[in-house]
Amino acid sequence: MKVGFVGCPPEDVLSKYRTEELFDLDNFYPASRQTDLLPPNTCAIVKRIVANALSLKPELIVFDEGYGKCDMARSAADVILKNMDVEMIRTRNNNLEPNGTRISDSRLGLKEKVELIVGELDGTAKRPDGLKAASPSPPVAFWGVPASDFSIYDLFPAGTKVLGWTRCLENRTPDNPELESFVDERVPTVFFAQTFCHKNILAKNLAAKYNGLYVDMDGHLTGSSRAKIEAFLRFNI
Amino acid sequence: MPKFVGDFGTTWTKLLDMETGEKSVLKTTDVKNLSPELATGHNAKRFSKNSVGELVALAHGGTRIVGGTFSMLDVGSRDMKYIRLERGDLKSMDWNSQCGALTGFTVQLLGEHFGVDFSDVEPADKALPVTCGVLGMEKVFDEIAGSVAPSDALAMFVKGLAMNAYRFIGSPDKFCLSGGMCDNPLFLASFPKDVEVVPVGRFVLVEGLEYELAEKAKNKANKMASHVEGRC
Repeated sequence: MKVGFVGCPPEDVLSKYRTEELFDLDNFYPASRQTDLLPPNTCAIVKRIVANALSLKPELIVFDEGYGKCDMARSAADVILKNMDVEMIRTRNNNLEPNGTRISDSRLGLKEKVELIVGELDGTAKRPDGLKAASPSPPVAFWGVPASDFSIYDLFPAGTKVLGWTRCLENRTPDNPELESFVDERVPTVFFAQTFCHKNILAKNLAAKYNGLYVDMDGHLTGSSRAKIEAFLRFNI
Repeated sequence: MPKFVGDFGTTWTKLLDMETGEKSVLKTTDVKNLSPELATGHNAKRFSKNSVGELVALAHGGTRIVGGTFSMLDVGSRDMKYIRLERGDLKSMDWNSQCGALTGFTVQLLGEHFGVDFSDVEPADKALPVTCGVLGMEKVFDEIAGSVAPSDALAMFVKGLAMNAYRFIGSPDKFCLSGGMCDNPLFLASFPKDVEVVPVGRFVLVEGLEYELAEKAKNKANKMASHVEGRC
C-alpha cells in the first residue's frame, strides 16, 4: 500500500506503516506536478505536499498538523481531502523524548546531514557507522526547516551545525520551541525560512538578535540569496 | 590587451582600466569580446570565469573609497543591496531582488515615457506606498488618472522608492549611495531631510574588484616571502 506522510508524525503512528511503500510528502519527487488549487503566495513546501499527494496518489496519508506545521498546511490537508479519494490520519506530535542531535552536530557536509535527517524519517537513509563526533567549534551554523532546494546547502563548509526545526526533526521533537530557538551565539549563523512561511518572523528576529544573516527562498535558490550567503561566509569564517 | 575589471549589471556594464584608471559605462547588451581580470554583477559569469559576488565587491569598494566604517546602499536597475561595516567587520547586509525589483529600471522607464527631466522636479512631501518598481508603476498611473501631473506622480513614486530603500538599510543617520541612481537628483532629494546621503557614484563595485585583486596579490607575496624566510 502507498502511504504518504506530512511533517514529523508521532513514531507510534508512523511505525505501523514502515513496511508499506512510504512517501514523505514534504520531499521532492520528480514525477509530481504542481496544481492550481493553491494561491501563488503559498510556501513552496505546502505547494509540494499538495502536488505530491495528488500526483503520487497514496491510499493513506498520516498528516502531522501540530506545531511543526502551520495553518497553510492544515488548510492544505482539507484541500487534499476535497480533491482526492484518500484516507487521512490527522495527528499532532507532542513528543519531548529526545532522539539526539548527533547528525546535526557532526562533521559531515551540510547537505549530507539534512539528507540523512530527512532520510531517516522515511526510512530511505541510515546514518553511517562511526559518525564523527561533534566539532567543538563549527565554522558556521544553519538555522531553519529543510529547504525546498537542497543546493543551498552546497554553499556551506563541512561541519556546519544544524539548528532550528531541522534539528528538532532529528531529535523527533517537532513541537519544541525551546530547541528550535536554540542558537550558539559564538557561531556565525544563517537563518533560513521558505518565503511565505510564518517561520520568517522567527528567522528574521533571531538573525537580528544574534547578528546573523536572514535569508528567505521561494522554491529555488536565487542568485541574490546565493551571493548574500557567500558574502556572509566570506566575511565571517 | 589592457587589464581591466568589470561590473556586468542587468542594464549597464561598468569597466575600470587598471593601467590607466579610465572608467567607462556601456549597455550590457552591447558588450562583446571582453575578458576581464575579474568580474561582478548579475551577468558576471557570462563574461568571466573569475567572478566575485556583488556584496563582496560592494564591501571592498566601500572600504577603498570611504574606509573601514560605512553603510553603503547600492541601487541598481534590477535590485538594491546594502552592506554595513564597522572597522572592517561586517555588521549587516541584505539584498532585495523581490520587493526592490526593477527600482532603477522603472524610474528610468517612467522618466523617458513622460519626458520628465528629474533635475527639474521638486521632491514630493507625500510618498506613494511602493514595495517594488512594478507595483509602484501601477500606482503612478492611478495618480495620473486622478488628475495629478505626471511629474508630481513621479516625484511621489521616487519618494516612495527612496523611503523603501531607507527602511531597507535600517534607517541610519548617514549612508553612502552607490549605483546609477546617484545621478538622479530627485532620488537624492527624496530621502528624509535630516539624513546625510553621500553619493559615491556607480563605480564602487569595480573599485572593489581592483581592491580584491590587490589584496590577493599582497597575500600571495606575503606567502612567498614567508616561504623564502622558512627556507632560509
